[in-house]
Amino acid sequence: MSKKRIGIVLSAVPGYSETFFKNKIKGLQDNGFEVLLFVDQNQTKSTNLPCEVIIAPDFNVNLILKIIIIFKTFLKAIFISTKQSCLLYKLDKEDGISLKQRIKQLLLNQFLLSKKLDWLHFGFGMLAVNRENVAQAIGAKMAVSFRGFDLYLSPLKHKECYNLLFIKKVYYHVLSNQMKKILIERGVSEPMIIVIPPAVDVTYFQPNKLQLSNQQVEMVTIARLHWIKGLEYTLESLALLKKEGLDFKYTIIGDGEEFERLIFATHQLDIKEQVIFKGRITQAEVRKELQKANIYIQYSIQEGFCNATIEAQAMGLFCIVSDADGLSENVIDAKTGWVVPKRKPKLLAEKIKEVINLSEEKQQEMRIATINRIKKNFHIIQQQEDFVKFYL
Amino acid sequence: MKNKIKIAVYSGSIPSTTFIERLILGLSNKGYQIYLFGYCKKKVKYNGSVKSIAYRNTKFYKSLHLLKYNLLLLLFKYKAKQKLDRILKSKSQNALIDKMKCYPVLWHKPNIFHVQWAKNIEYWSWVQEFDMKLVLSLRGAHINYSPIADPILAKMYHKCFPNVDRFHAVSKAIAKEATKYGAPPEKIEIVYSGLNLKSFKRIPEVKDLKFNIVSIGRSHWKKGYNYALDACSILKKRNIPFSYTIVGAEGYLELIYQIQDLGLQEDVVLLGSLPLDAIKKTLKSSSILLLPSVEEGVANVVLEAMASETLVLTTNCGGMEEVVQHEVNGFVCPIRDSNAIAEQIIKIIGLNDENKQQIVNQAKKTIENQHTESQMVSGMLDLYINVLKENNYE
Repeated sequence: MSKKRIGIVLSAVPGYSETFFKNKIKGLQDNGFEVLLFVDQNQTKSTNLPCEVIIAPDFNVNLILKIIIIFKTFLKAIFISTKQSCLLYKLDKEDGISLKQRIKQLLLNQFLLSKKLDWLHFGFGMLAVNRENVAQAIGAKMAVSFRGFDLYLSPLKHKECYNLLFIKKVYYHVLSNQMKKILIERGVSEPMIIVIPPAVDVTYFQPNKLQLSNQQVEMVTIARLHWIKGLEYTLESLALLKKEGLDFKYTIIGDGEEFERLIFATHQLDIKEQVIFKGRITQAEVRKELQKANIYIQYSIQEGFCNATIEAQAMGLFCIVSDADGLSENVIDAKTGWVVPKRKPKLLAEKIKEVINLSEEKQQEMRIATINRIKKNFHIIQQQEDFVKFYL
Repeated sequence: MKNKIKIAVYSGSIPSTTFIERLILGLSNKGYQIYLFGYCKKKVKYNGSVKSIAYRNTKFYKSLHLLKYNLLLLLFKYKAKQKLDRILKSKSQNALIDKMKCYPVLWHKPNIFHVQWAKNIEYWSWVQEFDMKLVLSLRGAHINYSPIADPILAKMYHKCFPNVDRFHAVSKAIAKEATKYGAPPEKIEIVYSGLNLKSFKRIPEVKDLKFNIVSIGRSHWKKGYNYALDACSILKKRNIPFSYTIVGAEGYLELIYQIQDLGLQEDVVLLGSLPLDAIKKTLKSSSILLLPSVEEGVANVVLEAMASETLVLTTNCGGMEEVVQHEVNGFVCPIRDSNAIAEQIIKIIGLNDENKQQIVNQAKKTIENQHTESQMVSGMLDLYINVLKENNYE
């Protein structure tokens, strides 16, 4: 029996969490699947992956080059993927897509039509937009992963962007039950949705031996500097704690467009001395920072699930998170951490105080419960098995 | 003296922001020769006293612009050109684009070169080598937070500020902030923004059962709209009927998400930018203007609201308390405090018409006493003349 072929579509070759992605590919390969990765050329950083990588032609070039690329792609559509191209054109037409858009989609998606696949899996919801018929055109099953931003925010920016997608026969992978609920509300049938939360390499993120004490409290957040991460609210709660005399240090790991907004907040809230912006660091450095910290905070406004919170729990940190979307499934309130209503800095400050004042017995009990739950429910092997079941 | 003084108001683009354009108009009406340098965003018809030396933002027009002034300097000011070329080279600022920007300034050689945005100050410091006086406006983000986030910028300010001939501060608060970067206090003059009060004629109020709150300003985090929306959520939970319109924030994803997340779709509207006349009408039909900002110099929209006899609720950011006194001519609440905004709105709703009228009357007086266009223009002229007098300009 020949191997099942899975084509994964991403906007770029993963860079930051490349190890994680390599493991995922390897897990599928070990289970008898062949994996191909389709990416857009202009965002590609490296192709050092254990699978074939197919890069989309770059149409954002000067006019002459653009004409040449369009001509070459057109020839491919006519002479190489003739059948698939005709079918894609026909299916798009049946969906009422305009002639101009049909031709555009035919050219832009040509690189996806070149391979014979059993599954075409789009890594983010928005990657499947304007590609709703590609899988059918190549005779593959279609899967789409929703990660958070693409489900909660993209439809606000691009109104009705998933209307066509949601009426197609598509298998969905989401990170939380909350996301599953939203898809059902939007008309997707329940059996087509599978929840596979992110996973952590528990052999890498091993528990540390830290304990909360009355000395300086070290808190940490891993997040890109973006408003969805609720960092401004977090800083406001820390300012309240400083006023009450708490001695703490807070490290933010990650970079992003809102550095100016956040550093100004630390200045205005008079916590500049207590807050450290680490920027983007390597995974080994992340682990080191987590080892030093006592409390992990993820007070997001919007969050699909959050890998970093799982990593922090795997290391036995006390996690305080907001109730944004998947976070309240990530952390079980009062059992493996604490869930605080979002946009309420006063409540977050109260919760941090409460956690600092936990008895040693309670601290130990929580840590054991947290670490065990992560090992049991968020192990990378478990995730690989879930994905294998998804594709079978 | 006035016929001989040449003043360059430099913001980089023509036309500039509303308040800078107001200053240009006011100065030119006084008969002074005003020079504008920069790229032409839109054609503007100024009066005869304004000389616009603008270039269109295409390679062709920029080349033409450079060629013209290169030739003029070569033929008539050769030595000065050589000197400028040497300076630009020493500052690694000698690309064609830099020459295209700097040559026209050297050719026209205004007496005052007034830079509107602090980040540009190092770039234009060379004008002092040619007996032009360098004036810098201290405005908003350039002083209040950019140097906090960018240590290199802060270092540049420390290097350049002591050499600036005069500073124009839009508020006392921003003047104080600039001294942290080496601006000598004795060189700073406070000149508040001003309005032409005649253009704020009374428009009949549109009565509405709901309490209409409006905010006006570009979609930017410093405007603090997220706190305003959190305050709206508190009002809604307390069953207080209201509507909230943010003019200028259309398409701002953070706010769109927050509105949906807090279930405020029926209560909050985000609009695109509006022309000044429409803004005046919006202000008049609103119960209050809310300024939830975390940072401002002095927000012009607050001055406009006060001139329009619309109640104002502002945070105490930047220089706002130099204009608005709590419960005297408006209302003030702390920054980053949605509870305080909500509480204050509830108090305002509870005021009787007489109280409200007293406050708007007082607000109008504040504008008449402190923020008229003529005050702003004469303040700026005094500033320019003082600099020139100090330097024995005849």
